[in-house]
Amino acid sequence: MSLLFFSSSVDYWVGLVLEREQSPRKRKLYLWASLGTNLALLMFFKYYNFFVDNFVTAFTFFGINISARSLNIILPVGLSFYTFQSMSYGIDVYRRKLKPTKDFVTFLAFVSFFPQLVAGPIERATHLLPQFYIKRNFDYDKAVDGLRQALWGFFKKMVIADNCAVHADMIFNHSSEYTGSTLLLGAFFFAFQIYGDFSGYSDIAIGISRLFGFDLMKNFNFPYFSRDIAEFWRRWHISLSTWFRDYLYYPLGGSRGGVLKTIRNTLIVFLVSGFWHGANWTFVVWGLLNALYFMPLVLSHRNRIHIHGISPGRNLPTFREFLSIVCTFVLVVFAWIFFRAQDLSHALDFVGEIFSSSFFTIPQFEGQYQAVTTLILIVLFVCVEWLGRNEEYAIGKLGLTRGKPYRWAFYGFILFMIGMFMQSNETPFIYFQF
Amino acid sequence: MRHLSFIFNFEMTMKKFLKHTILFALFFLIFYIGMVFVWGVVMPPRFRPNLTYPLGAHGFMHTRIQEVKNTNNVDILFLGSSHAYRGFDTRIFEEKGLSSFNLGSSAQSPIESQILLKRYLSKINPKLVVWEVFPATIEGDGVESALDLIANDKIDYLSFGMAWELKNISLYNNLLFGFFREILGMDRDFEEPKSDGTNTYISGGYVERSLEYWHVKPMPAKRLTINPKQLEALEKAIELIKSQGRDIVLVQAPTTATQYGSILNNTMFDSLMSRQGYYKNYNQILALNDSLHFYDSHHLNQAGVEIFDTKFIEDLKTNNWLK
Repeated sequence: MSLLFFSSSVDYWVGLVLEREQSPRKRKLYLWASLGTNLALLMFFKYYNFFVDNFVTAFTFFGINISARSLNIILPVGLSFYTFQSMSYGIDVYRRKLKPTKDFVTFLAFVSFFPQLVAGPIERATHLLPQFYIKRNFDYDKAVDGLRQALWGFFKKMVIADNCAVHADMIFNHSSEYTGSTLLLGAFFFAFQIYGDFSGYSDIAIGISRLFGFDLMKNFNFPYFSRDIAEFWRRWHISLSTWFRDYLYYPLGGSRGGVLKTIRNTLIVFLVSGFWHGANWTFVVWGLLNALYFMPLVLSHRNRIHIHGISPGRNLPTFREFLSIVCTFVLVVFAWIFFRAQDLSHALDFVGEIFSSSFFTIPQFEGQYQAVTTLILIVLFVCVEWLGRNEEYAIGKLGLTRGKPYRWAFYGFILFMIGMFMQSNETPFIYFQF
Repeated sequence: MRHLSFIFNFEMTMKKFLKHTILFALFFLIFYIGMVFVWGVVMPPRFRPNLTYPLGAHGFMHTRIQEVKNTNNVDILFLGSSHAYRGFDTRIFEEKGLSSFNLGSSAQSPIESQILLKRYLSKINPKLVVWEVFPATIEGDGVESALDLIANDKIDYLSFGMAWELKNISLYNNLLFGFFREILGMDRDFEEPKSDGTNTYISGGYVERSLEYWHVKPMPAKRLTINPKQLEALEKAIELIKSQGRDIVLVQAPTTATQYGSILNNTMFDSLMSRQGYYKNYNQILALNDSLHFYDSHHLNQAGVEIFDTKFIEDLKTNNWLK
C-alpha cells in the first residue's frame, strides 16, 4: 500500500508541475523523474534478483568471482499493472493529451481502482480518470450486463482454466516422464488455462466495474480465432499491447524509418513485453518468438489484413480461414511452452521431446480420464465463444431476445456448471504473480 | 424538479435491480437443487466430478454402518482412519475375551469422528474408546471422509453442520443429492459386496487384506501442519466421550520406518496428542519390518496387524485401560 501511495504521490505531483511548467527541457526532466521513480520501483522489486544472479553467473563464466547476494524480496501484488497505469498518466499529461487532476483522492482512486488493480486491464488516464468526475446514475441494463460478463468470467476461470491447470501442471511438472504427444497436449491445456484464467479475470473486472457504472477497456477479443499473429496481438491482452504501441513502439518511430528500424522497434517491443511478464529468460524468449512470428507480417505490410470481424455473417469459417486460425493457434501454443516452462533448459527439453519420434504415440499421463472431460468442456467453450465472437464477450447477446425464464435458466446453468466442475482447492490467477 | 426525478428514477431502477436479484437467487436455489438431482441420476461419473456420491465405494462404510445399528454394549470402540479399520482386527480381540466394534473409515478425520460419536456412542455403549490418530487426518480438510459419511450413513442436521463447517462445493452437491436419495428411498435396497477380491469385510468393522508386502521406496521429507479445525474437533470429541464417563486412549498405529522417518516433526505431534489424554505411539514401541509387515508405506499387512494387536492387548491389560 505504501508503495502504491508513494508512486501515486510522485505521479500526481509531477502531473501538476508538468501542467504549470512551460520550459520543454524542464518538462522532459520532470517526466523522466516520474518514469524513473516508477521504473526504479519495478526494477528493484521485480528484477533485482534476476540481474544480480545473471551478473554473478556472467562474471563467473569469465573466471571472475564477485560476491553479490540476492535479496528475499516479495513482489507487491499488481505492481506491474498499476505502475504502467500510473506512467501512462504522466506521459499523457506531458503530451498535453490530458489535463492533470487536482484532486489527489480521485487520482488515488484511478490508480487503485479495485476491480482492475491487481491484474488489469491497464487503463489509460484519458479513459478512466474522467469517469470519476461524472455523476453516475444507476443503470439497470448496464448493471445486468456487467453481472452477465462477470458470470462468464467466473466460468472461464473456474471451469475452463482451473480444470486445464490440473493437466497442464501435471504434464509440465513431470515433463521428463512423458512422450512428445503428451507434452503437446500439456501445452494445449496450458493455452486454454492461461486464456481462461486471464481473460476470465478481465471479464470479472470489467463486469464488476460496469455494475458500479464504470467502463473499462476491452482486454481480450477472442484471440484464439485470430487468423495471423498480428491479429492475435490485437486481440490478446489489448490493454498491454496498446500500451506498448502508444508509449514505446510509436515513440521509437514505429514502422516509419526503414526496414532496419522497423525490425529493431518490433524486437524491442516484444522483448520488453516478454520481460514485463517476469524476471526469467523464458519470458524473454517467449517475446522473441512472438517477434519472429510478427516480423514477416510487418515487413511485408500484411500485419493489418485481418482488422475486421471473424467470418462476419457466417456460421462457420471458410476453409482458408479455418486453416489460418489453426496455424496461428499452433504457433501461439508453441510459444506458450516457453512462457510456462520453469527455465530455458526445461523449455528446450520439452520442445525437443515434442519433435522426437515419441510424438507419434498416444498421450498417456496421470489423470487422463478426467482430461477427456476437460477436452469436452473446452470444445463446448470454444463453440460458445465462436457464437459470440463478434460481441463484447461471448455471451453478451446470447439468448437476450428470449424470455426471462430462458435467460435465467441459462445463467442458472452456467452457475450450475461452475458448481459441478470447479476445483475444490484454491487456484490463484496466473497474472497475480506479474 | 429535475433532481427529484433523478432520485425517483434511481430508486425505481435500483428497486427493480434488487427485486430481480432476490427473485433470481430464489429461482437459482430451486434450479440448482433440481439440477443436482437430475445431473446426478442421468450423467456418468465423468461429468460430475463434484458429485461423486461414493455409495459403497471404499472401506465398506455402508456395511459397517448397517452393522453398527445392531451393535451395543461392547468393551472397546475403535475410531480413526483406514489405520483403525485395517489395524484393529476385532477377531483377535474376541479371542482374548474382548468384545469390540471398529468404526474406522477411509481418511476419517476428527470432524467426522465427532459426528459418528454423536450418532452412535450412546448406542454402542463402549467402556473404552480407542482412537487411532494418523497425523495426515489431523492435517487434512476431512472432505474425503465426509463424502464417505454422506453417501453411506443417514443424512441429518449433523451432516448439514459438517458440510457448513468444511465449506466444500463437492460436499454441498453430495449432501443435496444424498438428501433426495434418502427421501425417495433410492439406496434402500443397496447391498454392498463383502469382498472385492483383495479386501474382505469382517463382522465387527475390520477389513482384512490378502497378504501382500511393500516394496520399499524412498519418501520425500515433509513437515506436519496441524489443521486447527481438526484439532478443535478432536478436543470436542474427547470432551464428549469423557462427559459420558467413558475412557479414551489415543493411539498412533505403526507405519513403515521409511514413512515415519520422512516426517521431520513427529515429536511436535506426539507432544500435541499427549496433551489430549493418554497417548501411545506404536512407531516408537514396535520394531516392524517395512516389507514383511506392511502392504504399502503406511498400512500394516495381516502379519503386522497380529503383532500390533497382540502388543496393544498386552498394554491394555498392563496399563489397566479397560477398567
